[in-house]
Amino acid sequence: MIDSSTLTKKFQKEMNAGIASLVLLSVLDKSQEPMYGYQIAKLLEEYSGDTSFMKQGALYPVLHSLENSGLLESKVEPSVSGPPRRYYEITNDGHETLVVWQSVWKQMNSFVDRAIKGG
Amino acid sequence: MIKSVEEYLDVLKNELKGSDAATIQDALADAEEHLRVALANFGEQPERSEEDALQQVIEQYGSPEETASAYREVERRTLPSLRRETPAQRDPALKRFLGVYDDPKAWGALLYMLTSLVTGTVYFTWVVTGFSLSLSFAIFVFGLLFAVFFTVSMRGLALLEGRIVEGLLGIRMPRRATFFQKDITWLNRLKNNLMDKHLWLSLIYFFLQLPLGVIYFTLIITLFSISVALMAAPLVQSITDFPMISVGMARYYLPLWAAPLFILTGFLIWTLTMHLGRLIGQLHGRYAKMFLVTE
Repeated sequence: MIDSSTLTKKFQKEMNAGIASLVLLSVLDKSQEPMYGYQIAKLLEEYSGDTSFMKQGALYPVLHSLENSGLLESKVEPSVSGPPRRYYEITNDGHETLVVWQSVWKQMNSFVDRAIKGG
Repeated sequence: MIKSVEEYLDVLKNELKGSDAATIQDALADAEEHLRVALANFGEQPERSEEDALQQVIEQYGSPEETASAYREVERRTLPSLRRETPAQRDPALKRFLGVYDDPKAWGALLYMLTSLVTGTVYFTWVVTGFSLSLSFAIFVFGLLFAVFFTVSMRGLALLEGRIVEGLLGIRMPRRATFFQKDITWLNRLKNNLMDKHLWLSLIYFFLQLPLGVIYFTLIITLFSISVALMAAPLVQSITDFPMISVGMARYYLPLWAAPLFILTGFLIWTLTMHLGRLIGQLHGRYAKMFLVTE
């Protein structure tokens, strides 16, 4: 018997790998001001409704790698209450990359839709 | 069942065992920031117990196992910018020997060795000044403030040096400063900082950066001058007609047949210097990681 829930989890994880970067870049591109991790996580929670697509902890390493490739910038700022927070902001490179990624996503989306519907 | 943020971090650290030390430091900093902010937001709803709140926050953030696997996954895909495949051993020896010119790590290491004199001087001055002022201010009340400021500045410097080492030597170093708790007293903060063995290790590292910087700088400049002098001598002699070799008072002209020999030797010395630089760079990177990265 095939364990379908494990396979589904694996499928979800593999899909998330690329999509998380696109989603995070888009959120930061739309945002007027820099955002910190928890804020982003809360916003995504709002978008996803009742289903949770990925754990909040998994967002941080993606933010890392986006920052490392120069698509995001970050700075640490002390907060009035609680620990200091790291704020992320999209760079010009990030904005340009996002435009390309969004068109890739659109093509991909319609391709997958057609494949699922069968033409 | 995880009872506190500290426990979560301990488990996460355990889960990440075997990963890069810098990845672990980043993962712990991210988790601590997120969990504390999330818990602080929960605190506004007093009807929930603290334990409940933590369970729910962790449920959304992901268990330590899930978080660890997310970091490992991304880490596998993002390597430091200068890291490359090592040249295949089957490449001919000459190609491997000259290949050093194509290796950004070798050039990065040379640049690092040159700049380490400057950064080493700055680190050394700050460490010696800060340390002795902390000691002598200890008899005043504001001495406490200064000591905290100094210990905190050590982390900032360690992060900065880490960025330089990763950029120039291609060794993965932390991208986040280690997190420190906000709601504790100055005295406790100083105590925490002083108990941290990394404060002392980074003090030693910064102290030794000056002598190391002097050695690196001198080594590179000396070898550079020798190789350039050897390569340039035949050329300068042919232009200026000035004898290049002097022994005591006597001066001799370089025979024409020796010109290619001089140029080749100069080139050889410089190529060997690049190999040496790359080797020192790698060793220094490993040493910096040992002293500056929290395990």
